[in-house]
Amino acid sequence: MQNAKDTFYLTLQSRLAVLNPARTIVVRGVVRPGTLVEENELPSAWVPIDAFCLQWTELQVNSAEPLPLVVMECSIQYATDGTSGNGGMDRGRLLAAMDAELTAAIGAEPHAVAKMNYSAAKASGAPMAMGTNVFWADPVFGATTAVDKRLARTTTVQVFAYQEAGEL
Amino acid sequence: MSDLVSATGTAARAADVLLRAMGGRTVMLRMPAPAVPADATEQLGIATPTFHDIPLGPVVYRKARATVDNGKAAKWELLVSASAVESLVGSLTYASASVLFAEAHGVLSDDELLEIESATQEQVFGQPYVYRLGLRAPLAQVV
Repeated sequence: MQNAKDTFYLTLQSRLAVLNPARTIVVRGVVRPGTLVEENELPSAWVPIDAFCLQWTELQVNSAEPLPLVVMECSIQYATDGTSGNGGMDRGRLLAAMDAELTAAIGAEPHAVAKMNYSAAKASGAPMAMGTNVFWADPVFGATTAVDKRLARTTTVQVFAYQEAGEL
Repeated sequence: MSDLVSATGTAARAADVLLRAMGGRTVMLRMPAPAVPADATEQLGIATPTFHDIPLGPVVYRKARATVDNGKAAKWELLVSASAVESLVGSLTYASASVLFAEAHGVLSDDELLEIESATQEQVFGQPYVYRLGLRAPLAQVV
């Protein structure tokens, strides 16, 4: 399951970075594409804005198949305050831009990539391709929420993968 | 102008004296090492950063007892010398105190790591003379 989560995140991150290279965040002093997985970062009360924050929420495992089918829900949270120089009046447009980037990144073909094992990358420097794919459904966009002037949305994506023998 | 400069420095020095007089102590600010550029394993939680503890003082807990709500983690409020913070911001080359506290992993006080929930500052003539940190005890200690 972890390999599927890692593969989906890095695929989504690279697609979003191609669509909008200017969307970046600074994490521990280093500029990165504006996508992160909350459970992989240091716990913090800081809420990133103008970036995509992934959380892995629901999980189902169908063991009836020869290879168990894992269905995971990826919850993608993003928010914007608008541009301060514009008095925040463009916050609706900025949220719409993030909606469009996410739609294009998730909707782009193919809807599947080869599952990679990134744990091997720590030792050897390169991830190891596995025998099955990770694939995903279309995104489901939640309602826009407004807290003060901040606009936020949570979008969910169903991610599927086969659990290979011996895989964690 | 010299009065203004003198007044801002005086406020910070007076705050330091008051913090020390109220039993000012030193805590450790736990900072993670900078991330490794283009390292996917750090973004995936496979590689973890090293941490270093930096002395921060004088500081004083605003209340001797924590604020405790039923079923929630204990909360503390820590008053921190602005001159100590300014010196750390300069030596660690952070853009501002807010960035320093946002990047910090927590405050180590009496072997307990407290998460920084908020960081605000008290100012005079636009210059901070004391910082106020909202701290939260680990969730594991909730009873």
